[in-house]
Amino acid sequence: MGTIAWETDIKVALAKAQTIQKPVMVDFFNPG
Amino acid sequence: MDAVTYPHTSVQDILAESMVPVRIPFDDPLSQEYSITWIPALISLDWNGGQHYRTVGFMAPDEMVPSLMLGCAKVYGDLGHFDTAFAAIEKIISNYPESDAAPEALFAEGVYRYKSTQDPAPLKKAYEDLEKQYPHNLWTKRAYPYRLL
Repeated sequence: MGTIAWETDIKVALAKAQTIQKPVMVDFFNPG
Repeated sequence: MDAVTYPHTSVQDILAESMVPVRIPFDDPLSQEYSITWIPALISLDWNGGQHYRTVGFMAPDEMVPSLMLGCAKVYGDLGHFDTAFAAIEKIISNYPESDAAPEALFAEGVYRYKSTQDPAPLKKAYEDLEKQYPHNLWTKRAYPYRLL
């Protein structure tokens, strides 16, 4: 089974998205 | 979501291929910035941080995949990258016609085809397709005025 390569910083995610020109999916979640 | 949806290969695959996934705890200040009042909340952003689509609540894998595709389609379509948006929409309509995302995808296709051509015919077609395939759906009701075009 694979895993999801979650980013944990929105700025890092947006910078990565800017580079590859792909959308960002933000999951607001309860860490428990 | 962690127990059922995210372990599913189809969800992992679309996130790896099509999006940059990021997880933010609901008590992070960013939640307030994005007006998050209930979780799980999923938001599709463009690479400049603009919001284009959001969902609230649990989704099983067979709903999550087309919902993510729709999020991508709306990002690309809203930014005027119509061909990429249409490709995502066609996958939703062809592969997930029974999903909750499919009617909204049909609606969005009509809108983006109109925006890309200034021809109102795709809006009318969107209503006709919605009325035929999803007669009682919310998006059929929202497309109702387009029958007159």
